[in-house]
Amino acid sequence: MDVSQYLEIFLDETNEHLQNLNTQILSLEQDPENNDTINEIFRAAHSLKGMAGTMGYKRMQTLTHDMENVFSEVRNGNIKVTADMIDVLFQCLDALEEYNTNIRESSDEGTNDNGALIKRLNDIMSGGAGAESAPAAAAPAPAAAEEAPAADNGFSGIKLGEAQRSVLGEAIKMGKNVYGLTVKVQESCILKAARAFLVFKAIEETSEIIVSDPSSQDIEDEKFEQHFSLIIVSETELETVLNAARGVSEIEEVTGSALKPEDMKVSEEDSGAAEVQSAPAAQEAPAAQEAPAVQAAPAAPAEPTVQDTPAAAVPAAQKAAAAAPAAKKQTASKPVVNRTVRVDIEKLDTLMNLVSELIIAKNSLVSASAMSGNSSQAVNEQIEYLESVTTSLHESVMKVRMVPIESTVNKFPRMVRDLQKKLGKKMELYMSGEETELDRTVVDQIGDPLMHLLRNSADHGLESAAVRKERGKPEVGSIFLDAYQDGNNVVIEVRDDGNGIDTNAVKNKAIERGVITPEQGEAMSEKEIIDLLFNAGFSTAKVVSDVSGRGVGLDVVKSMIESLSGEVEVKSKLGEGSTWTIRLPLTLAIIQALMVEIGDEKYAIALGSIQTIEDILPSEVKLVQAKEVITLRDQVIPLIRLNEVLEVPSKKGPEDNLVVVVVKKGDKLAGLVVDELIGQLEIVIKSLGKYINKCKIISGATVLGDGEVALILDANTLI
Amino acid sequence: MADNNEYLDELRPIGETTQFIVIKLGDEQYGIDIKYIDNIVRMQHITRVPKVDEYLKGVINLRGEVIPVMSIRIQMGLEPDVETKASRIIILKLEQRGTLGIMVDEVKEVVTLENDRIDKIAYDAKDERASFLCGVGKSDGGLISLLDLNAVVPENL
Repeated sequence: MDVSQYLEIFLDETNEHLQNLNTQILSLEQDPENNDTINEIFRAAHSLKGMAGTMGYKRMQTLTHDMENVFSEVRNGNIKVTADMIDVLFQCLDALEEYNTNIRESSDEGTNDNGALIKRLNDIMSGGAGAESAPAAAAPAPAAAEEAPAADNGFSGIKLGEAQRSVLGEAIKMGKNVYGLTVKVQESCILKAARAFLVFKAIEETSEIIVSDPSSQDIEDEKFEQHFSLIIVSETELETVLNAARGVSEIEEVTGSALKPEDMKVSEEDSGAAEVQSAPAAQEAPAAQEAPAVQAAPAAPAEPTVQDTPAAAVPAAQKAAAAAPAAKKQTASKPVVNRTVRVDIEKLDTLMNLVSELIIAKNSLVSASAMSGNSSQAVNEQIEYLESVTTSLHESVMKVRMVPIESTVNKFPRMVRDLQKKLGKKMELYMSGEETELDRTVVDQIGDPLMHLLRNSADHGLESAAVRKERGKPEVGSIFLDAYQDGNNVVIEVRDDGNGIDTNAVKNKAIERGVITPEQGEAMSEKEIIDLLFNAGFSTAKVVSDVSGRGVGLDVVKSMIESLSGEVEVKSKLGEGSTWTIRLPLTLAIIQALMVEIGDEKYAIALGSIQTIEDILPSEVKLVQAKEVITLRDQVIPLIRLNEVLEVPSKKGPEDNLVVVVVKKGDKLAGLVVDELIGQLEIVIKSLGKYINKCKIISGATVLGDGEVALILDANTLI
Repeated sequence: MADNNEYLDELRPIGETTQFIVIKLGDEQYGIDIKYIDNIVRMQHITRVPKVDEYLKGVINLRGEVIPVMSIRIQMGLEPDVETKASRIIILKLEQRGTLGIMVDEVKEVVTLENDRIDKIAYDAKDERASFLCGVGKSDGGLISLLDLNAVVPENL
């Protein structure tokens, strides 16, 4: 079979699975008992194996097969997750990544068998086999015990309403099974509601939950002791359902039996009597507790229950999803079937370009209609309609291109974990805002700069555990990665609670390197010194490590971010840590802008950075340190006369009122003095090309409706 | 220089011909190898870009693309351009340096020169203008100075 046409898809999906595995194994390290995670890992490894096999990559298949075996044993509770095992698993992922890279480059997986890794995997397996016998021996014959306690079980106390009875009757008529279940949660369990939710979820994969006691609302609120009972309708065997429920961790036991119509009691009142019902359930608990205890033995290898498509679980699932917010984290890891289409980014680029063309054409139409003067009402209405359509078209195309930065930042926890081992420092990475969305091209390229900054924080920022202890800080250093949207920008912050930047050390180094003269050094402010760090060939690390310290980091970071029309800033306090702030524009192609006139030239200012527009009397302009400022709502705002900056003669005299566009960058404001306001316009940003990139205050150009080119002012660099 | 193969003027095979567009700057005729020319457009409004070198006149809209325009007059140390009806912007497409326009006083004609009628120019350090040329061609209309675009268009503006 010729599989080359599937190569792209294979590579994409492999990457996704690998990323998923990385994330899941990391969380497994934190919570080795989490069955959901283990299942997810098992599934990802299994899919990887299948894909590699289909594509004919035998080595990859062998490795994933052995990984899958290990997970399968873990899942069945035969071996325990150990730190050593996690290490091996990570090495396996690295090896898989290597195969993937080889395949991407040469469509061949390479010749590395990774025999050592496979052997270690097998060692883990055989280590597990020894332990396996123990629980097996402890397992008494459970078969007989199964039916006996049925009468005393908690679920038999459930009283059914008329409607529920008819549902159950109907189900039995249709040949489905009705089971009653009683679940007992371990005494030590803290998040009972979450565990209960997981049980609900596990059961709902094969069955429909008709009624629960206590009610699902009470279970959600943790208003139950250790037991809860369910009546379910299912097409599968009782044992399968029981095993699914037992698969949830911290569940001590699950008992159940099939119910016949005559077993179902009619409630005296209607189904609202939940409070009354919880009492008998609790009383019956001890009985249920003793009788089926034997069943606690490990279940026979559970079949991956997910694969059995649930028949009618949907409404109940929705109820349950609402029921347990505490369990949200676990649900997120369960893959839902997405109705998505994979699209080549190039096609999206083409689409975006066409939308740009359309907007230029629309702008031309607007100005042509305005020029002709006698345009009728109908034409204007249609143009307005066209305008709103193009705007929403642009927004939709833009949204299509937006992806959460998650895909990029997800690899960082793993990286920090590796760094921790390599650098011998203790550190923890805290991330927030992974769901923040950015243009796909930006997300693809932001990874490297962020990685540099994180490594920088880990290597230069954080002190060693001993030093931290001495300084009265917690031994484990913290690195934070926060992303959030701020107006038309997305801000990504990398923060650490380490040593901060030693400006004196930076200054001395700069002088030593000949970047500045000692006299210059004296005159420089702290901020200017910190900015020296972005100079090429600058590194203050005393030892060059393979993590950072080659001096290629920060200048690359700066230029990469600037190439994305973003900017990077650093704030630091010696002894307390540093914050690196990356500010990126939300979109790269089309923005809403305010058109202004200065002299006889037209300029665009991005609407996103504009705070207000003010009409100022010349007498209101004050001088502070020989600089013009105005006071607005008790805030002193420096004025920037654009005609001076842009070297155009202003049309305004000194007596005329000033038109001031107040722009904002972070928390700084500035007032830009322009001659006239023209109006708001949706503009398509065109690059000025590398010939004119020297001019920092101009961030690009745009073609106006009449075919003229207007330049876009970058308010950020003006402030 | 990495891109020194871009202008293979010295390597033009003997016996073959090369086409040049003849332009005028003042009274002098200059030739530009036709293979670098994408388009010739009429003079139009050039949007000035502040704070760039003097020879960069600004940017124009060429079928929706924003293209920088430079003045070879200023670059070669001649008098500044005077726009007339004959003024044109020649759009060059250079492999390494992208697309850009140059302002010329007039576009005269296309000439075909046999390669053996192109003489190398004797390098004269005193004549600044000679450094922008890569040869002299003889045609019926007189002598044509062949522009070395490599030298005219700065690599890093």
